[in-house]
Amino acid sequence: MSSLRARHPIAVFATAVALLFLYFPILVLVLNSFNASRYGASWEGWSMRWYQLLFSNHSRDIWQSLRLSLVIGVVASVVSMVFGTIAAWALNRYRTRLQQAHFGLIYLPIVAPDILMGISLAIFFVTLNVERNLWAITVAHITFCISYVALAVLARLQDFDGLVVDAARDLGANRWQTIVRVVVPLLAPGILAGGLLAFTLSIDDFVITFFVKGVGFDTLPLKIYSMTKHTKEMPVINALSTLLLTFTFASVWWIQRLTRTRSAT
Amino acid sequence: MSELRRKTNPERRAEWWTTLPSAGWLLIFFAIPTLLIVVMSFKPAGPYGGFGEGWSLKAWVDMGNPSYPTVLWRTIRLSLAATLICIALGLPVGFLLGRSDAKTRSILLLLVVVPFWTNFLIRVYAWKVLLHPSGFFRETLVSFGVIGENTLLLYNEWAVLLVMVYAYVPFAILPIYASAEKFDFALLDAARDLGASSIRAFWLVFVPGVSRGVMAAVVMVLIPALGSYIIPELVGGPTGEMIGNKIAQRVFIDRNWPHAAALATVLMIVTLLPVLFAFAQEKRESIAVGKKGGDASS
Amino acid sequence: MSEFLVFDGVTKRFGDFVAVREASFAIEKGEIFALLGPSGCGKTTLLRMLAGFIEPDEGRILIEGEDITKLPPERRPVNTVFQSYALFPHLTIRDNIGFGLKMAKRPKSEIDSEVDRMLDLVDLTEHGDKKPDRISGGQKQRVAIARALVNKPRVLLLDEPLAALDLKLRQRLLVELDDIHDEVGITFLYVTHDQTEAMAISDRIAVMQRGTLEQIGTPAEIYEAPVNSFVAAFIGDTNFLRGKVVTATDEEYSQAEIEGVGEIRLFNDRPLKPGEEIALSLRPEKIRIESHAPPTDPGLNAIEGIVEDVIYLGSMTRYWVRVGDQRIAAERQHSRYLLDEKLPSWKDRVWLSWRADDGCVLSDFAVEDTELLSIPPDEEG
Ligand SMILES: Nc1ncnc2c1ncn2[C@@H]1O[C@H](COP(=O)(O)OP(=O)(O)OP(=O)(O)O)[C@@H](O)[C@H]1O
Ligand SMILES: [Mg+2]
Repeated sequence: MSSLRARHPIAVFATAVALLFLYFPILVLVLNSFNASRYGASWEGWSMRWYQLLFSNHSRDIWQSLRLSLVIGVVASVVSMVFGTIAAWALNRYRTRLQQAHFGLIYLPIVAPDILMGISLAIFFVTLNVERNLWAITVAHITFCISYVALAVLARLQDFDGLVVDAARDLGANRWQTIVRVVVPLLAPGILAGGLLAFTLSIDDFVITFFVKGVGFDTLPLKIYSMTKHTKEMPVINALSTLLLTFTFASVWWIQRLTRTRSAT
Repeated sequence: MSELRRKTNPERRAEWWTTLPSAGWLLIFFAIPTLLIVVMSFKPAGPYGGFGEGWSLKAWVDMGNPSYPTVLWRTIRLSLAATLICIALGLPVGFLLGRSDAKTRSILLLLVVVPFWTNFLIRVYAWKVLLHPSGFFRETLVSFGVIGENTLLLYNEWAVLLVMVYAYVPFAILPIYASAEKFDFALLDAARDLGASSIRAFWLVFVPGVSRGVMAAVVMVLIPALGSYIIPELVGGPTGEMIGNKIAQRVFIDRNWPHAAALATVLMIVTLLPVLFAFAQEKRESIAVGKKGGDASS
Repeated sequence: MSEFLVFDGVTKRFGDFVAVREASFAIEKGEIFALLGPSGCGKTTLLRMLAGFIEPDEGRILIEGEDITKLPPERRPVNTVFQSYALFPHLTIRDNIGFGLKMAKRPKSEIDSEVDRMLDLVDLTEHGDKKPDRISGGQKQRVAIARALVNKPRVLLLDEPLAALDLKLRQRLLVELDDIHDEVGITFLYVTHDQTEAMAISDRIAVMQRGTLEQIGTPAEIYEAPVNSFVAAFIGDTNFLRGKVVTATDEEYSQAEIEGVGEIRLFNDRPLKPGEEIALSLRPEKIRIESHAPPTDPGLNAIEGIVEDVIYLGSMTRYWVRVGDQRIAAERQHSRYLLDEKLPSWKDRVWLSWRADDGCVLSDFAVEDTELLSIPPDEEG
């Protein structure tokens, strides 16, 4: 690092500024969650009262919305893991016009702005007169998750040695045994990484859910959003966010470790 | 002939069966609804929200409302500015990531990626708290005389721009880094050896070398920026509104769905332009590469 | 000759491109049979048809009289050592080797003892519990061989098994492979583009070019009596001399006029007619280079020329000698019993001589084959 600093002072400086910029608001938010002051205008000493409030009856619907988010997240990521993996297999295996169109269908939801996906599904469900309930939300989440899983698995497939499949057949495995014993175990890190990404995106999604859902069905981001409208709830959000941040850091760290040991052994 | 059919058919069938689940799902829940936006913008509004019977041009006539060009122009202006700043930050960071050793790189990469994994709403909200009129950040700036007593940090275009850059800068760093990783840094030494200053070498050799990554970064930042909704909603105020806010207002306040569909169509057209541009660029490049490959092998 | 493995008119096309054209040959039980040819000539394609990964467009493949052309790979009595090993990265060395037995649903105790035996055979007993990316390239190679051999295939297919290794390791593994072959007695079909490798290990070699089998024979047959200019140039270096038959002296010998060189004596194993165009392959080491004329001998050809290049190659020296408008390569070993004689050097006038039956009359000559030679004869004008 020190030699880098000597050789590329400008790049190091820009990187430091970018990182400071990325973490400064998060740090302030974390600090404020321990600030006794409600509005965080000044430091009024350490306090755990916002955490107490978060775990009290006052915040019961936060936990309910978290549960809803988790259910949707798990269903959406599992379904998209299956669909996305099969899609990646087809994209990698065949070089046809059909797959060019298929790739377009997979790629576009990733670049399309959330709000367009949200409003289009809302219009779709309204036009078909479908009840915009839990299932509608889950369908919407699966729709944007499939693409991410497909691309994660596709990346893994690209350095997948296709000869390994031939080797399994050569050694007497039939098609099904080859899939179960060779293909899936080898793709597992890609499938898991895609699934985790899908889960995070689902838990994270505000805009699409906001447009698709009917009355009720507040997922965690929707709950947080409605709380941001009330200034007095600010410190509770800070506390909740700090917990979520800790959780994210821990899981990102864990995923990194997982993928590192996987690729090392 | 029958020999041929027997051989091609199972292959073809396997392709269909592996393509159908994802393609079918995305066709029904992504492609058709997206086209439906355009169709439904030609419907009259229903009396209690939703869509009415028959067809109508009313929503499109209403697009003439003078506030829309202002909002549309602001949306484009802010998104382009955010994209430019993100690329400007992404280039040196991507460069450094490409240059550093494996260990430093994995730490830096983790630092760049973690915000990307954290809840978007919370990250935007953190800025709202930070820029809040009674927040300590503003108070500190005022007490040091950096800004005047009456300057508001929140609820204007600048706040929107700042938070957009904040939210989308990882999308610029990651593709540029992906290109930089494949970049041959010996080229920079060669440029220096031939007399270029380090800044010139960076501009004339590194930036063109990672142009693919920059293209990807433009698409990855510009498109979500154009469709921004939460950011202007939380930190923009009335003078920082973007097209996304207008769509939401039509849906949730007036419940005028055809009007929202017409606005969404406009947004779709605006976002489609960079995608088409990127695709065309990509195609041109792959054709050029294909030609080169053909020459080399023959 | 027991016809153990038979290719009968096998053809494979990819679109309009013919990757393998009407390949017909038989491999004997227990031999090491090499398929030798330049990159892209269709060796892997031929091998994959035998393993069952691709189906021939025409022709049949038989093992001990049984037609296996349509069997799926898992039901064929052959196993493959892949070009890039294709070890399963998620399984340990033991599990890699035991994979085939497990697929055959053999009892666990039997699998364990068989795997132990194989680990011992390829000398990897201590590494059994490692994953493939923790062992060296040479060790991977041995795992790949063990993984295939443990299934006791009737034929072991090896697709350039040593191509990814460095020279020294390649030479050592080649010897090991030969030892393993002696020990297990299984038929090997060995694919390579390296002629020294093929010569060293195989009982017989089939030389391929652009999908076609050009010649099949023992290494000595192929080296000493190549049928055409491709085989002659691909297997070792040679000189091509072209000319016309002048007189057919008797059953075995004729006289020919070589362009720019003069008249020489030819050994012919097929009858030649006066006036017929011929091409002759003459290996550099068959030519003797001296500073004085050799004694006259009816079995010997002798021509005079001027040394243009001298290349020191360690164990020998190669001379490029201009004779008329031809450049001829000749080699001389560095044995010291001729020490009293002065070695020829640049611009010296020298005599080249060779026994008439050391030149090989080719049935087919193509000018572009001269580019396969290490130094094309007329490098400089
Ligand atoms: N699936 C395929 N589709 C189209 N062409 C193919 C296919 N497989 C092989 N070929 C072509 O067939 C020819 C023979 O290929 P093959 O792999 O058999 O060569 P090889 O002799 O094994 O070469 P190498 O020594 O490089 O491994 C090549 O020109 C190759 O491009
Ligand atoms: Mg090959």
